[in-house]
This record gives sequence, structure tokens and C-alpha cells, in this order.
Amino acid sequence: MDDDQGLTAVAAARPAPGPRRRAAAVLHRRPRLRLTLLLSAPLAWLVPGYLGALAAIFLTAFWTTDTFTGEVVHQYTLANFQTLWDEPVYRTIALRSVGVAAAVTLIDMAIGLPMAFAMAKVVRPRRRPYLVVAVLAPLWAPYLVKAYAWRVMLAHGGLADEVLGPFGLSGPGYGLTATVLVLAYLWLPYMILPVYTGLERLPDSLLDASGDLGARPLRTLRAVVLPMVFPSLVAGSVFTFSLSLGDYITVKIVGGRTQLLGNVVYDNVGAANNLPFAAAVATIPVVVMLAYLAAARRTGALREL
Amino acid sequence: MSVSAVRIRDLRKGFGAVEAVAGVDLDIGDGEFFSMLGPSGSGKTTVLRLIAGFERPTAGTVELAGRDVTSLPPFERDVNTVFQDYALFPHLDVLRNVEYGLKVRRVPRAERRARAREALRGVRLEGMEARRPAELSGGQRQRVALARALVNEPRVLLLDEPLGALDLRLREEMQAELKAIQRRAGITFVFVTHDQEEALTLSDRVAVMDRGRIEQVGTPAQLYERPATAFVAGFVGTSNRVGDVRVRPEKLQVDGLDGVGTERGPGQGDRHALGTVADLVYAGALTRVHVDLESGERVVALRQNLAASDDMPHRPGDRVRVRWHSAHEFRVADAGRGDAAEAAPAS
Amino acid sequence: MWSTRVALAATAALAIGLTGACGDGDSAGKATGAGQGGFTVPKIAARQSLGAGEGRVNLVAWAGYAEDGSNDKKVDWVHPFEKQTGCKVNTKIAGTSDEMVTLMRTGEYDAVSASGDASLRLIASGTVAPVNTALVPNYADVFPGLKLKPWNSVNGVAYGIPHGRGANLLMWRSDKVRPAPTSWGAVFDANSPYKGKVTGYDSPIYIADAALYLMSSRPELGIKNPYALDQKQFDAAVALLKTQRGLIGEYWSDYTKEVQAFKSGDSVLGTTWQVIANLAKAEKAPVEVALPKEGSTGWSDTWMVGAKAKNPNCAYKWMDWIVSPKANAQVAEWFGEAPANARACGLTADRKFCDTFHATDETYFSKVRFWTTPIAQCLDGRKDVKCVDYSKWTQAWTTIKG
Repeated sequence: MDDDQGLTAVAAARPAPGPRRRAAAVLHRRPRLRLTLLLSAPLAWLVPGYLGALAAIFLTAFWTTDTFTGEVVHQYTLANFQTLWDEPVYRTIALRSVGVAAAVTLIDMAIGLPMAFAMAKVVRPRRRPYLVVAVLAPLWAPYLVKAYAWRVMLAHGGLADEVLGPFGLSGPGYGLTATVLVLAYLWLPYMILPVYTGLERLPDSLLDASGDLGARPLRTLRAVVLPMVFPSLVAGSVFTFSLSLGDYITVKIVGGRTQLLGNVVYDNVGAANNLPFAAAVATIPVVVMLAYLAAARRTGALREL
Repeated sequence: MSVSAVRIRDLRKGFGAVEAVAGVDLDIGDGEFFSMLGPSGSGKTTVLRLIAGFERPTAGTVELAGRDVTSLPPFERDVNTVFQDYALFPHLDVLRNVEYGLKVRRVPRAERRARAREALRGVRLEGMEARRPAELSGGQRQRVALARALVNEPRVLLLDEPLGALDLRLREEMQAELKAIQRRAGITFVFVTHDQEEALTLSDRVAVMDRGRIEQVGTPAQLYERPATAFVAGFVGTSNRVGDVRVRPEKLQVDGLDGVGTERGPGQGDRHALGTVADLVYAGALTRVHVDLESGERVVALRQNLAASDDMPHRPGDRVRVRWHSAHEFRVADAGRGDAAEAAPAS
Repeated sequence: MWSTRVALAATAALAIGLTGACGDGDSAGKATGAGQGGFTVPKIAARQSLGAGEGRVNLVAWAGYAEDGSNDKKVDWVHPFEKQTGCKVNTKIAGTSDEMVTLMRTGEYDAVSASGDASLRLIASGTVAPVNTALVPNYADVFPGLKLKPWNSVNGVAYGIPHGRGANLLMWRSDKVRPAPTSWGAVFDANSPYKGKVTGYDSPIYIADAALYLMSSRPELGIKNPYALDQKQFDAAVALLKTQRGLIGEYWSDYTKEVQAFKSGDSVLGTTWQVIANLAKAEKAPVEVALPKEGSTGWSDTWMVGAKAKNPNCAYKWMDWIVSPKANAQVAEWFGEAPANARACGLTADRKFCDTFHATDETYFSKVRFWTTPIAQCLDGRKDVKCVDYSKWTQAWTTIKG
């Protein structure tokens, strides 16, 4: 009996389009509504969860912390920024951090470009996936494990010393150099991948054409490859630069006594529980990155991201 | 005897297990318009790339004007290439694309500008100097690629299916233009194409390639009228197999048994066979008449549509006599391979 | 009204922030005078009796303080507790003292293993309640040197049960550092031959180590308590650390890092914990440790009960359990510190454990200044000057590291 009734109901409903069909028809006629529906979920996350958090950081920077109980005092003051400005140590640390980020980016460009080139243009297409996996593989290992591995390698009498020993040199030890080195290692895949993608899209015939017109490989690199992967390089550098600017763990492990902006933020969030001051410090990399992105935008590189 | 512009001996190139070029010998004369014709995968483009130096041969030699260039990189060879995808530098404007080769060779700025503009005039692109390749049409890009290669005044110009991406009209226009440019410049052209008509109309000589080997080299007329192999017979035009000989479709005359539709009277040396009309395919200027011979073979005859189409004298099912002159018969060395029915359709 | 004004006046005069007392209007009336540090303590009553267990207890603890066998099968004093009391243990590991303060303030946890740099803050903010030690039978066996100390009591009222203690020691590579150092001067000597191989603890609280050294090396500064530094004393300590920075190879903040650095010889001299020294020796690093003649800083942790604990009976049972001889011996041995319960020493797996960690050596610990949160009003009782508070210590620490 139940079955029969069900069938009758379906049969009766058939002439009029179902609600799903009607909704689809409405959406088809109204592209703007369609777009709104499509974007509502991501925007619901993006606006409060993402931009909101950024705004909260900025807002918090104008508050202070009760030093004893650790509670945030919601009273607007520029005291945190005043401290940042007045204490030369913060300027030193900010400049050092930007310097490290820039050095890491340059090293990754210098290593990543030839590597990506070999992957995209030299190696046979069938072997490329393996190389991509090889480049990505280090990303699967935990960050801490890699950083500690470097710590052991850079230790007194460690691998670095052993390898450089025969040349009368010794490893860099723990410090700024080690920090740059390890960060460059950690973020290298983030440079290689966009450059590789960029090079893969560069037709082989352009390289052939350049050689055909008499250009030697270096000339081809300078006149054809570099201008064409420049946006990809900038895209990769956005990753390496921002990741380096925010790092505080690597420098703690191999940086010796060096401290970067990330450490100041971490120390203030963690040890001192001074979230407002940490937020004020955190605005420095945000401002630096915004300036960097603005510069990158002018090159058209953001389209590669 | 003068040295060949391009001289190739026992050229071989393998990619893994595949031998793309399996022993090629070629002599291309100075100032010749030489085409390499073949289906995709026949190795014609690889031969071109070996001449340009983009690939290293597994064996054999390449000589340009008597000089062995087999181990030289592209930038040390006096050849220039027009690529199938044009390979224009997207980040440079038209003028900078054209003067790229001159700049690399350190030609002074004023001179290279003048020569580049001259080359652009030669391909009727004056006024386009400041455009980016992305802002040009396919035909215009093609001409920029041509100008970019010609401005270097190479001894040999290599063209890799340069018209492949163009639509039919533009293609025919460019064919004429190419031929004119070649005559004017007196440069040796090595032209790769899979389009047999293009090869026949443009070239002084054509090499037909299949499976990494040259099947036959000759003038267009030689290839068409005396194909050496079944493959050539099938790939260059179409041919009918009648017994152990072959005849081109336009050489076949279809007569009604009652004499209806006879275009040409019987003559000395005529051969004929009886059959039934299987099908009529109207193709504008021509009609293809498919006839099943009593021997079991099917042949195709071409009939010019001199009158209106409804005046066609034969109908499917009609008994007819197929006639041809013995002088138009030819034989191929490797009978059994290739046939009209399986090769590219006749135009 | 009157009491509110008093509270506000006290706040202004003492210049410290008070949350529980005057931040919330409703608790202001409950404020009852100053603790020995001078800050106001919210009046919260200790429990007078215990009821039946609630079936569960939520803890905030340092790593290694509430082991349930998941790190090492043999290291488990949580399951026996659960079996005996029926209180299921739910542990939240905290990484820093500040995290502990923040977690406890949520009111969702019943007990916390607070260090001296967190305990006072928890007391002052009314986050934890006084502890009726009579309800913790095993408290009787706790070393007297740990009872009713400034970091676990206010005005003679106990706020927790001592868990254990340890000293920040001087460690050196016996093959590289000769003669064996006996003074903290070794890590502060500007002309040290071990330049670039000296290590220090990476925390603002390390400023107290410098202050401790200044107590004997520059008595004219008048430092009485390394956690109560007026501006002048503080500046002197910071200056000393800035000089020391030139000698430092790296600062350390975790076990593995320091063990590895001493093993490889990247560090040859610096501050350490007994447990790190033991680990380094176990890895065959030729190191020695000593409590220098100036004494040292150190830590003493305290189990405290949340003022709003939902499972107070189980929390009391846990406090009693963790200082019971067997469990206290286990946790002290696992973490590497001196146990709080005197009877624990008879139950350690390593018979010499209590000797190694000087558990019964009150003279040894009399030289140890346990970590305490520096606050604006001086902990040493001075009323005529303001002391430098912990947030300034943090910012100074950044400046010291440069």
C-alpha cells in the first residue's frame, strides 16, 4: 500500500518542475545571485577568520597587558609602538630579519632557477614527476626534524666541519649564517615549484628559437628565460621572503644567540604573555610584506600565484 | 659541380627504443625549394631539427655548404628556422623580435633597426613594430617569424609546417608569398609539411618520408606520375590498383556500355575493364565515380563536372566500362602496401 | 563603598594590576588586605572536608608530571591513581608558565603544577584557592624546606602542595674547561678563554642569575633577592648580561639542544639542570656540574587547586597521590628533580637518586633562590623603591640578546 501511494505521488508531481529544477532555473537566469551563492562560503571564512584575525592583531597592538595577572587592558595607547620606535634593538632586529629574508630569497633563486630549469627543460618528461616528488619530499619531513638535523650537521666537528676540513675551512657554526643556510634549505621547494611551473609553460621552441638566432645558452637565459620566468621568481620569492620573515624556530635551533622578529613575537606571546606588544611587533613583518607585495604586483608577478 | 647547401649522410636519431630517423641521405641544392613530406611521425620534423642542431644525431653527418656541422650547436650554424608555433618571444615587441638575431650578433643598433624594418616591409608588416605578438593575428605572427629568420640572411631557411595553423584562404595566400620570397632572396628553403598539395605546388623537389626513411625524392611531377613505392603512390595523390598495375583516378574514363557518357573516343593502347557503378560522390568541380570491377577490385574515377550535376550519365547499378591508356599505368616496387582506398583522399 | 575605595587606593599605591580584586566589581568587596608581597589577595576559603570523588579530574601540568605510560610503558602513575580513586585523569600539557596561567583562568581545570613564576599570579588573580593541607595526608612527609614558601603561600596560608625542586647548576666540559670553575664568575668573565662556547638559559628569568652573581660580586648594589631588583640593580644585571652576550655561543631553552651542544663541544660552559647533566653523561659527554659558591637560582613547583574547580575532591586526591612516596619518587626520577616527599627517597629505582639531586640536603637548597615572578613592589619587602616587573624583564631580555 505504501509503495503504491509513493508512486502515485511521484507521478502527480511530474508535470510541475521540482523545486531543485526551479532553483536551478532561477540561478541560471541570475548570474549575480549565482556568484553570491558561490562566494558566500569562502567569504564567510575569509572575512571574519582571515581578515578579522589580521584586524584583531592590529587592534590588539594598541592595547597593553597587565604585567602581573597577564590580562589585556583594553585601553588605546601608542605605548607599544613608542617602545618599538624608541628601543634601537627592535630596529636592529627588524633590519636583521629583513636581511635574512632577502638573503634566503636570493640563495633560493640562485639554486632554484637552475634546478627548476633542469626539471622542466633538460630531464625527460617521463622522469619529471619523480623529480617533483624528490623536491617535495623534504616537505613531508617534520620541520623540527630537519632543523635539528642541520643542527647536528653544523655542530662542532659535525658533517659541515668534516666536509670543509680538507680545504682548511670549518663550518659556519651556529649563528646568522647557519640560520640563512637552513632557512634557504627549508623554503627551497617553495621557490622551485612556481619557477618550475613557469618554465614548464615556457615553450621549448622559444629556447630553440633563441639558439637558432645565434644566442649562446647564457644569452638565452638572460634574454628569454629570465624575463619570462621573472613573475614566477617573484611569486616564489613571496613565499621564501614571508616564510623567512616569520620564522622563529630555525633561528632558535641553529641561530646561536641570534634573534629575529619571530623570536621577539614568540617571547612576548609565550614567555611574557604580552600579546599587545607581540601584536605591535607582528605588524612590522605585515607592513614589510605589504610593501613587498605592492612591489611584486607592479611586476605582474601576482598573477603567477 | 657545386657543393650542396645541405648534405646529409646516413643520418639516424633514436629516442629511447624508437628510431625516429632511420638512415637518411639527402642532397639539397643551393637556392632550391625543397620539401619534406610525410605523415606525422614520419621523422621529417626530426630531420629538420637535426639540420638546425636542436637535436644531436645518434649517427650520421650533417654538412652545410660543405662544412660538417654535425657536432655544432644551433647558434654556430648558418641556418634559421621558422617554427610551427612561430616561437615569437612574447615579452618583446615585433621589432625586437625581428632584430633579436642581429642584436645577438652585435650588429650596430642603427643598422639592425634599419634591417629589421626592411624585413618587416618585406613581409608587409610595416607599422606593426611596436605590437606584442599576442596582439597579432595568426597570419601576422607567421610573417613576423619569417622576417625574424630572413633578416639574418641565412644560407638555408628551415620551415617546420609553417602554414599548419592557418585557415585555408590565408594558407593559400601565404604559399604564394613564401614562394615569391624564396625566389627573391635566393635562399635554400627546407620545408616540412604533411600536406601533399602544399608540397607539390611549392617545391622544386620533394622528399617523401615514412617511418624514419625517405621513400622517394623527386620533382612533384616525378612523384605523382612515377611513384616509386606504394606508400608514395598512396600519399601523393591517390591511385587505383588494377591487376598488377596502378592508375591515377583522373586517368580513368568511365563509359556506358551503350556509349553513353564517353568523353574521349577509344584510341590505340587503351586498356579496359568491366564493372558496375557503386557510388557517385559529388565534389563541386569533380564527381568521384566508384566502380566495382568484375575482378573484384574497386576503383575510383574522376569526372569533371563540365555540365550540370543532374546531367551525370551514370547511376549506381549501371554497367560500365572503365578505360585507360597504357602509358598512364605505373608499377611500384613494393606492391601490396598502400592504396587509394586507404590513403589520403584525392582533392 | 569604603572597602572598594581602599582596594582602589591600594592598587594605585602599589601600582600593580589586580584582576580578581578590582577588575570585577563583585569581588572587590571580598578583598582582604595585602599578602606578604604587598598585593591584595581575594578571600577564598579552603575546603574543610572532602567528599566522594567526582569520577574525573582535569589537570594542567608540565610535560612529564602526569605520565600515563604513553611515553614509556614503565612510567605510569596515572593509571594506578585512577584505579585507586576512580578519578579519571585528563591532562593538558602546558609549555610555559604563562600558558598555565591562561589555561587555569578559563576555570575548566581543577589543578595545576605551577612554578614560582606563575603561582603568585594565580593566587593574586583569585584563580586558585588555598589548600587545606590537613586533607592531604602525605603533606606531612614533605620536606620542611618546601613548606609555606613565598611562592606557595600567602601570610602563612598554604596555596598548594610542593611537587619537587631543582637548582640551575653550572655545567662544564671537564676536558676543555680547566681548572674546574667554582663560581658563576666563569660565565660572566669578559676575558673568558671560552668565548663563543658559553651558554645561558633563554628566558627573561635568567636575568636573576646575573643578579644572583652581583649579590656577591658587587655587594654595594645591595641586592637582597634576585627577583626584587630596583631600576639601578636591574640595569646592572642587564649590563652584565650584555657583556656576557659576547661570550655566548647560543642560549638554550630545551633539553635536547643543550645535551647535543655539550656533546659536540659547541658549548663548554654554562647553566644547566641536573637532569640535562645526567643525560649528557649518559651520552658519554665528559661534563661535570656544580652548585657554585654563590648559590644559584632554581625552581620549585606547586600543585594548586582551581578556585572554581568542578572536581575539587578528585583534585585533592590527585595532590595527595602525586606527593605520595611512590608516585613522588617516580615523577621526580622521570623528570629529574628532587622529590618533595622525604619518604620518596627510599623508593627510587636508582638508590643514589636523592643524593644526586640533593633531595635531603637542606644546606644545598638553602643556597637556591627559587623562581618567583618579579613584580613592581619589591618582593624583598622594600617599600621605598619600585622594582622592575616581569614585562620589563622580558623586553630587557630582547635587548640583551640584541
